[in-house]
Amino acid sequence: MSEQILVSNKFLEGTAKGGSMRALLRRLPIETYVISFTVALWIALSIATPNFLTENNISNMMRQTSIAAIVAIGVMCTIVIAGIDLSVGSVVAFCGVMFAQMCAHGLALPLAALLTLAAGVLVGVTNALAIGRLGIPAFIVTLAGLQAYRGLALLLSGGMTVGGLPASVKDFARGTLVLPNLFWAMLAVGVAVHYLLRFTRTGRYLYAMGSNAEAARRQGINTLRITMVAYVLSAGLAALAGILLVSRLSIASPSMANAYELQAIAAAVVGGASLFGGRGTVLGAVVGAVLFTTMSNAAVLLSVDPFWEMVLEGLLIALVVYLDNLQKRRQSGG
Amino acid sequence: MKKTLLLGAALAAFTLAGMNGAKAEDTIAVIVKATTSEYWQWVFKGAEDAGKQLGIKVDKLGTPKDDAAGQIAVLESAAGSKPAAIVISPTIYEALGDPISAVSDAGVPVIMIDSGAKTDKYAAFLTTNNEAGGKAAADAMASCIKERTGKVAGKVGYLTAMAGHESLDSRDKGFVEGLKAYPDLKLVGNRVANNEEAEGMSLTADMITKDSDLVGLFADNAQMGTGAGASIAEQKLGAKFCLVAFDSDAGEVEHLKDGSIYALIIQDPYMMGFGGVWYGYAAAHGARLPKDVDTGVGTVTKANMDDPKLAGLLDVNKRKLSPFIGN
Repeated sequence: MSEQILVSNKFLEGTAKGGSMRALLRRLPIETYVISFTVALWIALSIATPNFLTENNISNMMRQTSIAAIVAIGVMCTIVIAGIDLSVGSVVAFCGVMFAQMCAHGLALPLAALLTLAAGVLVGVTNALAIGRLGIPAFIVTLAGLQAYRGLALLLSGGMTVGGLPASVKDFARGTLVLPNLFWAMLAVGVAVHYLLRFTRTGRYLYAMGSNAEAARRQGINTLRITMVAYVLSAGLAALAGILLVSRLSIASPSMANAYELQAIAAAVVGGASLFGGRGTVLGAVVGAVLFTTMSNAAVLLSVDPFWEMVLEGLLIALVVYLDNLQKRRQSGG
Repeated sequence: MKKTLLLGAALAAFTLAGMNGAKAEDTIAVIVKATTSEYWQWVFKGAEDAGKQLGIKVDKLGTPKDDAAGQIAVLESAAGSKPAAIVISPTIYEALGDPISAVSDAGVPVIMIDSGAKTDKYAAFLTTNNEAGGKAAADAMASCIKERTGKVAGKVGYLTAMAGHESLDSRDKGFVEGLKAYPDLKLVGNRVANNEEAEGMSLTADMITKDSDLVGLFADNAQMGTGAGASIAEQKLGAKFCLVAFDSDAGEVEHLKDGSIYALIIQDPYMMGFGGVWYGYAAAHGARLPKDVDTGVGTVTKANMDDPKLAGLLDVNKRKLSPFIGN
């Protein structure tokens, strides 16, 4: 009881000292600003064009965001431990082609999906071992993966589009359960990874390792295991994204998911993840992906020149990261 | 020691991968724009078939994705091994002009296929008349709209796979020019994608959101056709929307069958590879060749797709060559 009073007294003191609103704004994480910006964009679009706030457009945007967001959530986990995963785009293509080949050859759908996810996990384990055991920088390991898995996707498909998939493959991405199935898939992934990061010891270790790997090691954290968790999540979710993308396109092309790694990194960073490690949230990565989808949707609806759209997206990334750094510097400066 | 061994093994693997009995003068190098696309695999298939007929080796080269600097490097190293001839599809008109001139100056005949480059130092140029193809797309769209609405009127748009590519620009130009024959078709939009199916899919959905009364869309390559087809299928608009797409990869053919794509404008990539190697061989042996050769386009709809003449254009495995009598 007395403790409560003490706390509220302290709070009052804080507000009394002035600049409370500004102090509060400073403390808010960058995601809050990105969410506000996205919502403001939505409101502006609803006013500017009659076609934005329609059931059709919203479910389209949900479908468009989901796969990118799932990839971004995975990449964000590697960014949290001060790593990076540049291979995800190629892993999406490789696993997608693999999944499609298995389906086209008559393998049962659940089995094909399971084997594809297993391949994704294996990719993650390989990356983690190369980084954690051999000590090769994550940038290099996954850059090699970017090249190698794209090559494997091409080899596996003979450079051709894989078609002739059973209709059941397409059913998932086209289906809805009030909201599009793809959206539910993203939500399930998001909730699971959010739980892992926020409410488990493994999650805390991921942040600890990202803030200071050496200190984490000295505290007895098994950093190889934590590295494993991050890269398996990243590659595993890329494999899942591959399956979903094939379901959505109803084909697999070895050239698909080109540069998805960059989109994923951009989404994570705009959502508050720091490339120096220790920071990043599921909500942020999802909001980042939603923002980019909104921008490209807006560009079409408002007939913005597609080249300007790219410039604006680039400026947005730079601006958000700048604001984020500014905020952090102010915080650390008192 | 271990390192040396590993390096040695890598070296051996590379050498083995590139080893074969043929002498350089029995080799024709075929350099495509992007080895990752089905279209270019068909070019390779035609080139290989010609190589078998001629009893020469065909080197299949290129970068995985469109990449002008990468392609120049491939061209230069291919020329360095002094092949009998080089067949190339330049990625960027301006960028490949000088490198191609240099190869010709060094005495290796160059046959260009599919897309041009800024040079006149080449032996022959085998290509689809892309502008004619774009015009054919406009005609196919008009007849689709007439078939479905009773009149040739409404809003239409087009999807460009990538900016700044000569062949794509020509198709778009042909389409826009072709539309002028139908004054009641109003062009309302053009979007440019990153040559990515999923992006083409999103853009198609967004364009239909913007203009809900859009009646037709032209997708200017296979990636865009596959993506746009998937979007039309997802929205179950196949019965009323008129989607016309260039090329014919597996995804597009599937959407032609399920009705999401009304017509495919198909080129003959097989013939570019096949003819390219034959022309290269002829040029290497001193034959004078026509400078420009049109490899032709065809319009395939669900109604005529089983026609045996078109079947080989839709599926390279069904391709049968017959004597060429003349256009």
